[in-house]
Amino acid sequence: MFVSSIRSVFILLLVSTMAYAQEEKKTVNDTLVYKQKYGLRIGTDISKLARTFFDDNYSGFELMGDYRLTKRIYIAGEIGNEERTLETDYLNNTTKGSYFKGGIDINFYKNWLDMENMIYAGFRVGASTFSQKLNNYTIYDINNQYWNQQYTVEEGEEFSGLTALWIEMLVGLKAEVFNNFYAGVNVQLKVLISDSEINNYQNFYVPGYNRTYDSSRFGAGFGFNLSYLVPIFKKDKIVIQEKEVEE
Amino acid sequence: MKNIKFFILFIAIALISCERDDICAATTQTTPRLIIEFYDATELEDLKNVPRLTVYGEGLFTDENGVTTEPTETSDNIVVYEDEFLFNDNFSKIGLPLIVGLEGETTTTRFVLEKDTNLRLDTTTTETSNKDIIEISYVTQFIYVSRACGYKSIFTELSVTRVTDSEPWLNSGIEIEDTIEFTVENENTTHVRIFH
Repeated sequence: MFVSSIRSVFILLLVSTMAYAQEEKKTVNDTLVYKQKYGLRIGTDISKLARTFFDDNYSGFELMGDYRLTKRIYIAGEIGNEERTLETDYLNNTTKGSYFKGGIDINFYKNWLDMENMIYAGFRVGASTFSQKLNNYTIYDINNQYWNQQYTVEEGEEFSGLTALWIEMLVGLKAEVFNNFYAGVNVQLKVLISDSEINNYQNFYVPGYNRTYDSSRFGAGFGFNLSYLVPIFKKDKIVIQEKEVEE
Repeated sequence: MKNIKFFILFIAIALISCERDDICAATTQTTPRLIIEFYDATELEDLKNVPRLTVYGEGLFTDENGVTTEPTETSDNIVVYEDEFLFNDNFSKIGLPLIVGLEGETTTTRFVLEKDTNLRLDTTTTETSNKDIIEISYVTQFIYVSRACGYKSIFTELSVTRVTDSEPWLNSGIEIEDTIEFTVENENTTHVRIFH
């Protein structure tokens, strides 16, 4: 009984395969055309706005924009202003200034149908002009307990006319959440090329670059942005699909 | 290709977050102490221990009426050098913490150097110790070190004198090392030689 049923299944399979093989199939190219929007996308970094609101030691604003050049390449840039107070056990420093970053973004994401989202890698050159104010400082003296004296200088010094130049690599994504309205995140890795030297002091923070490090010229940052696309013109995106058609 | 980029980025961020920038390392040269060595008054090149030396800042030992007293046991007001209280023991090298004053102005710090402290502590003898006071004067200068350590002070225009005393034990001269050019910059070198 069991053996016979296996045999019948096997025969059934064989027959059906043969029947399938008899059908003739042919592939043809099917061309689909989607309209793609090109234009200027402008937005702002909402993480900086949020931090301005919640962090007493920070205020900042950034405007960002990109312009779609080709199917995959965008010219992109940011301009902003930041003020940041950093405090260590021994000193308190406020940095204020503006920055500009310019470069390109390359979209690596193959969009489905008419979508226009991005997963991108980018490159920027950044420049900043800023000033630093040393608000107060305490002399580092491990033996100061002996005289029970900690020497603090309350009137600081302001260092102005400082500049810095850096390059930045970033990866991120932008997604169209409503029509022409985008939300995105990105992370940035920065390398400081040059910054003004200060006599008997150092740069603690560079607007646009974020905090500096004593032992390396690398820096990092991130952004959450909301932006709006002002469509200027449209280009056709031609998608060629292979379709199987029965004869 | 894209994965490699992400990988490099994450490694870089990981490296950045491992920075030790925010801790002032103990090995960093910060505000130095004044290093004094005691030499033999006759054999000028030979170090010579000061017997039963006690070192403390002038005016730190007072009773409740503000009258100057003398230390009878180790306390926080005794100078510590290389983890040892400079109290009633033999030393040939000491380090003194200086008061940090207004930058660019002359500041003075005074220390009591008491020799033969054991004679004072031993109430069965009539002999007592010999206390000499040295006055160190200098001009502070604040030097930036790093993010974590901030500023240190160095001391320029150094001068060390003995406060007049009827029977001084450090009567053979106090000499500031030529090489330091009257500036206490770090603790790598001896700043002052005292002959006795």
